[in-house]
Amino acid sequence: MRLLLLIPLLFLAPLAHADLKWDKLVQEFKRVPDDKEIEAHYVFHNTGTTPVTIKSVHSSCGCTTAKLEKKTYAPGEQGDVVLHFNFGDRKGNYLKGVIVTTDDKNVEPVTLKLYVEIHDPLTVAPALVFWRTGEAPTARTVQLTAEAAQHVKIKSVTSSNPNFTATLQTGQAGLNYTIAITPSSTAQKESADITVQTDFPADAPHAYTIFARIK
Amino acid sequence: MIARALRQAAVLLALALLPAIVSGALQLGWKDSEPLAPGEVRAATVREWGDKVQWVDARSRDKYEAGHIKGAILLNEEEWNKLAPAFINDWDPDRPVVVYCDGGSCELSHAVARRLREEYKIGDVHVLKGGITAWSEK
Repeated sequence: MRLLLLIPLLFLAPLAHADLKWDKLVQEFKRVPDDKEIEAHYVFHNTGTTPVTIKSVHSSCGCTTAKLEKKTYAPGEQGDVVLHFNFGDRKGNYLKGVIVTTDDKNVEPVTLKLYVEIHDPLTVAPALVFWRTGEAPTARTVQLTAEAAQHVKIKSVTSSNPNFTATLQTGQAGLNYTIAITPSSTAQKESADITVQTDFPADAPHAYTIFARIK
Repeated sequence: MIARALRQAAVLLALALLPAIVSGALQLGWKDSEPLAPGEVRAATVREWGDKVQWVDARSRDKYEAGHIKGAILLNEEEWNKLAPAFINDWDPDRPVVVYCDGGSCELSHAVARRLREEYKIGDVHVLKGGITAWSEK
């Protein structure tokens, strides 16, 4: 008789499994290079009926690491995977992915995605101007554009080589500028670094370098 | 008697080599048919360009120091500000730039190539399909 009572359990047993529910699988951030790093938290809950052990969190890039406080989570328990992305000298748009796998075959591996836009408050385009030897020494222009919401003023423009002149023209103060760079001659290979000193941010103003080369 | 034994050995050797030859041919064919992403170039094409190629190693400093393609200059995003001036001094506008990483999706080399094109307006920049692994396969 007692054995008969156990029969329903045989049918229910396969239904017992872990189930991870994630608050957000994708997160997006916009940052400046000075931020240097970002930490994104991916919260999950074990909504299943058995404990779940996270076997691995695999990152596709050495610049991104993933941390977990512990590996095993009881039913109803919450945890979070912390993605840490070191910017280095990166600029632009980046997508970093981390694959999370568990010991439960019923829980499909999930990919946590981190989109980060690392944007300078001032864009310098191009950051390299060049002439071929013997070419006419005509001016090359470089556009400097500040982020729409950010006023960046140019305090000075200096050339490391007196054979290159750099002339600043202001479009809208704080928003856009043009620098015209001209070599006095292109007879031989030469180089100059043009330093653009800004007033932003106030506590540690940035300087930008434009490379001028006669190749 | 000896001639017969040699013939039999040759036949056995040919039979043993056949699967390897077929497999190798199929693999090479598959690799060549893999589509190129925008900006990528195959190792075979770069070999045709010969010595004029300017190699850029987009991997970490550790990997670069452990071994790199002859003549390659280190330029990665981790140390971009420090490494870029040396690249610019070395750069020759008349030579194609080929950026490589380990292989796979070559995310690192695509990022470096993108910055060379966008920030420095260098047009002749390519990413080596399959990275240093593909280059090492002769």
